Amino acid sequence: MRIAQVIGTVTLSRWHPTLGGFRWVIGVPFSLKALQKGKPDGEDFVILDQLGAGQGQRIGVSEGVEAAAAFLPERKPIDAYCACILDSLDVR
Amino acid sequence: MQRALVVGHAVATVKHPSLHGWKLLVAQPLTTDGKNDGEPLLVIDSLGAGVGDNIVISSDGAGTRQLIGHKNSPARWLNLGICDPCASPK
Repeated sequence: MRIAQVIGTVTLSRWHPTLGGFRWVIGVPFSLKALQKGKPDGEDFVILDQLGAGQGQRIGVSEGVEAAAAFLPERKPIDAYCACILDSLDVR
Repeated sequence: MQRALVVGHAVATVKHPSLHGWKLLVAQPLTTDGKNDGEPLLVIDSLGAGVGDNIVISSDGAGTRQLIGHKNSPARWLNLGICDPCASPK
């Protein structure tokens, strides 16, 4: 799971039949230096969110097989899933 | 499996149910010569690794799901062990 900061949401006008009714947020990941400074610096990507992450919150994003595993046995074509909303993040 | 340095820890109350009860470490994966390898990761931990520890993390999601005992768990990275200060070049 990578750490990303939510910078916005996405609303779909058309979607894959298995992806109806979900909430999508845009997250920007952190490198180590960015994590120490507190400002994300990675490349933003869209994440399926079931936990209701708000603007500016930091979340743990599970990617790849593990993102789709959250819905097994249903098969969904997703590769980024919000696994947790971070209350506190202590990095030295 | 890969070496990583624990650089912090995270707390999340709102999370996927399969993550309840697991400590979340922030670990920076390392290359063999000790440089940073990619972005820091959230690693689930049951061994009690602290900040500054050298740990070995596994990216086998299937093994992690088996250990957690939850077939839908989104967790992948798992802390397998805490290294003693190894002699490899830092």
